This record gives sequence, structure tokens and C-alpha cells, in this order.
Amino acid sequence: MNKTVLECNGIAAGYVKDLNILQGVDLVVKEKEIVSIIGPNGAGKSTLLKAIMGLINVSGGRFYINGIEKTNLATHKIVNEGIGYVPQVANVFPSLTIEENLEIGSWSLNKQQKESLKQIYDQFSLLKDRKKDKAGNLSGGQRQILALARALITKPTLLLLDEPSAGLSPVAINEVFSIINDINESGVSILLVEQNAKRALSFSDRGYVLDQGRNAYQGKGEDLLNDPRVIDLYLGKL
Amino acid sequence: MLDQLGNGLLLGIIISVASVALSLLYGVTRIVNFAHGEIIALGAIATLFLSSPIDYRVLFLDKFSPLGLDFFLSCILAVIICGLFGGLLELILFRPLRKGNVGNIAVLVVTIGLSIFIRHLYLLFATGKVQNFPLELQRRQTYLFFDMTPRNLKVLIIGILVMILIGLLLTYTKLGKAMRAVRDSEELSSVSGINSDNIILITWISSSMLAGLAGVFQATINDVRWNMGFLILLLIFAGTVLGGIGTSFGAMVGGLIIGILVQVSVGLPFMEGHTEAKNAVALGIMIVILLFRPQGIFGQKERIS
Repeated sequence: MNKTVLECNGIAAGYVKDLNILQGVDLVVKEKEIVSIIGPNGAGKSTLLKAIMGLINVSGGRFYINGIEKTNLATHKIVNEGIGYVPQVANVFPSLTIEENLEIGSWSLNKQQKESLKQIYDQFSLLKDRKKDKAGNLSGGQRQILALARALITKPTLLLLDEPSAGLSPVAINEVFSIINDINESGVSILLVEQNAKRALSFSDRGYVLDQGRNAYQGKGEDLLNDPRVIDLYLGKL
Repeated sequence: MLDQLGNGLLLGIIISVASVALSLLYGVTRIVNFAHGEIIALGAIATLFLSSPIDYRVLFLDKFSPLGLDFFLSCILAVIICGLFGGLLELILFRPLRKGNVGNIAVLVVTIGLSIFIRHLYLLFATGKVQNFPLELQRRQTYLFFDMTPRNLKVLIIGILVMILIGLLLTYTKLGKAMRAVRDSEELSSVSGINSDNIILITWISSSMLAGLAGVFQATINDVRWNMGFLILLLIFAGTVLGGIGTSFGAMVGGLIIGILVQVSVGLPFMEGHTEAKNAVALGIMIVILLFRPQGIFGQKERIS
């Protein structure tokens, strides 16, 4: 049985003190899994990822990374625990070149930086060809690829992705999801927040449905896609 | 007009160094620091205190005796003192404000209050007298096509070298890239493994050291006054805006242009007898340039997607 990479027990967190968006969320991600979180706007999907990354304060519950408690660990230290994160917006450094973006992504690597850069360039030829270009001049899809590469450069065991398809064209979405699939097949677990619930669930091993900061439903991706309660609430007629 | 070029270059290098400091701090922290002028003055006042002869008792209401240290050593110590002061401001004031999610406008008002507070402390302790560094008078000499004293030429050369060093630091070093990354996004920097609090602290220290150096330059070329930083603050803002807000390279060039324009405008025919209005010409030209290039000379328009 695959070991647990991330475990969230009863997470309560929010942006303002005493006003929690998350009100006791449980979630587990196992090795090599793709897990998606879906739910209506304001359900707390992105907030959960931010809480895991230490970007907002967790006021209740506990996180375990590879079985060790890491609740409220400083954000810059979470990366060293093997967690990569791609935010929904502002996911690249626009005034830095592509190469500098990747160098910043590999900030914690020290000596292995050059080797990691080479591997990323081998994996994403677009980035190699345009490495001296400013990231701010890339298209939305290209930015998303750079953001994925920046998060991958430290070789994380778990990648948190916040709406990777937001604002992209259908062609770019297909490309991004194909890359995410390749990343997963290389052994990286994926925790995915998506508005496009059908796409996310059909792509995932398991899924969680959040509603008003709490777990509503959970199960295998395919099962949730066909669950009448989930269809009625969030998916509509398939 | 050409005879003012030397003075223009000197004022330009002072404003350029101070503008880079202001721009660096704004770029990384988004703080428009109105107390920047007081850190400039601290550089000059600390140098005066450290380097004046022990029996020289005009400073500090006769209560404290100056230290009589070597002048060059005093300048270095003063710059370090400014860096420590900037670091302290970040730790005890601006970091708690940032962690408390206090808005940019409120922080701006805090810096205005801080500026007035510190400036009047200087007035109390350093007196309102105009004072000079303990340096012998020098004759002006002609270098290429501009006139200045050998000491001021040294100031100009050191200023240019510091600008080059800052440029190299920001472009090629890991620290410089991290500063630019935090400028773009503090959150993304943190999730990339950068301790952005440390980078912001280093930025405060670096910016304040540069401001202190600008103060040492200004007092070496002119004199020490309690409000000397405040008097050139508007020109520093002008240099920063002209170059492109948040771009250090722009601030270097913008500051230099403003300094030269201010001094060279003294030689314009209609300025005869009205030299006190020299800032008006420089600031007017700045407004015209911004009308045609709103992002400043080196500011870049970015793709929104």
C-alpha cells in the first residue's frame, strides 16, 4: 500500500483572526496519487492549499508531511519538506528572466542547482529556447508551464496546484494537463484544486468535495463524477 | 551653462545614490519612505560626530564630545550606523506593520510621521547650525570640461563605483536576484524557499547604507544641516519616478539627470537672479518626460495575462 505523503486532520484556518474559512477539513494524499479538491466558490479550496503552505495561519487541526507534524511551519521551510506549490495567480516572477525564475525556484538546492536546471531544460525545451526572455512576456499557457517547472526544480514529492487551467485556452489546458500527467507518472503526487470539476475528477484517482469550509463528499474520481448528489450540487447533467 | 556641469554631476551622484536606495526599498517592500531624507542626514551627522576634533563642541549642545576619528573611517562607520538604523526600523516598526496587514497608505503616513519626528530630534540634539566636516579647503581644478575640487572628484568616482557595484549585485548575485524576486511577489518567493523576511531586512539595511552614503557625499560637497535630507527629498523622488518607479537602474539614471538639470538650469538666461528657482526647471522637465513616457525612462510595460 502506498504511504501517506500528506495528511490534514480537522484543519481550521482563515485570512482574518477568528473568522475561519476552513472549519475542520480532513484530507489525505498518498504516494503517486492525483487528488483533486472541487467545490463551489468560497468553499475554501485555495485556502486549504495556502494553509498547507503556511501562507495563512492554521488555528485548529494538524498537518502531517510524510508522517511528521508540520503545522504552521514557515513557508520557506515547507519547500524543504518536498512540497511544491503553484498559485493560481502571480505564479511567475514577471520581471525576472525564465532562467532567473528557475534559479529562484532552486533557491534551496545550493550545489545541485546546475544539474536540476539542465534536467528542467531537457524536460521543457520551450523554456530552454527562451531562457533569457522576461517571464512577464510569456502567454498564460507558457507562464503556467514555467510555474510548473519552477515548482518541480526542487524535485518535490507532492505538488499543490491551484487552478492550473484558470484563464487558459482549451489547447493550453490540454497541454498543461498533459504535463501534469507526465509529472505524476514520474512519481510525484498531485493535489489539484480546480473549478473545472468534471475535468479534475476524470483526471484524478480520488477527489474531495468541499462546501463552506467542510468536507462534503469524497471518493474515487470516477465515483464522484457519477454520484447523483455531486452531480446535482456542482456538476449539472453530464 | 557648461561651468555648472561639474556641480550638476556632483548633485546628480548624490541624488542618484539616494534614489537607488529609495527605489530598492520601494521595489522590495512597496514602502514609500518619507523618512529616507532623515537617514541621509544621519549619515552626515554621524560622520560629523565621529570625525570632528574632540575639543570641537558645537555639536550636540555641548553635551557630547565628538570622537575625533579618522575621516575616512568615520564615513565607513557612519554608513554602517545608517544600515543598522534601517535594520532596526524594519524589525521594530515596519515588520510588525506588515505582519498586521496595515495598508500602504497608512504605512506611508507612518513614514511621514517618522520623518518629522527624527528630523526634529536632529534639531534638538545636533542644533540648527550649519556645520562642516573637519576637512581643509581645496581649490577647484579643471577635469576635462568641468570644474571641481579633487575631493569632490573622489566623491564622484566613489559614487559611480558604488552604482556599478549595486548594478552588478542586483543583476548577477543570488541575493540580488532574490531581492528582485521578492519585489515581484513576496508570496511566490516564500513558496520557492526564500525567507522573504530576511531579504526585506537586508534590503532595509542596504537601502539605509546607501542613503547614509548619499548623506556623507552631500555633506562633503556642501555642509551638514539638520534638515539636509528633507531638502533634497523631492529631487530624490523625482529621480526615482523619472527613471521608472521600482527599477534601480532607472533610479541611477533618473537621479543623475535630475541633478544635472537642476544645476545646469542655473545657467539658463531667464534664471539670472532667480537661482533659488532652479528645482522648478528640473521638475518641469520631469513632468514633460512622464507625459510622453508614463512608466519612466527605464520602467517597462508588462503583458497582462
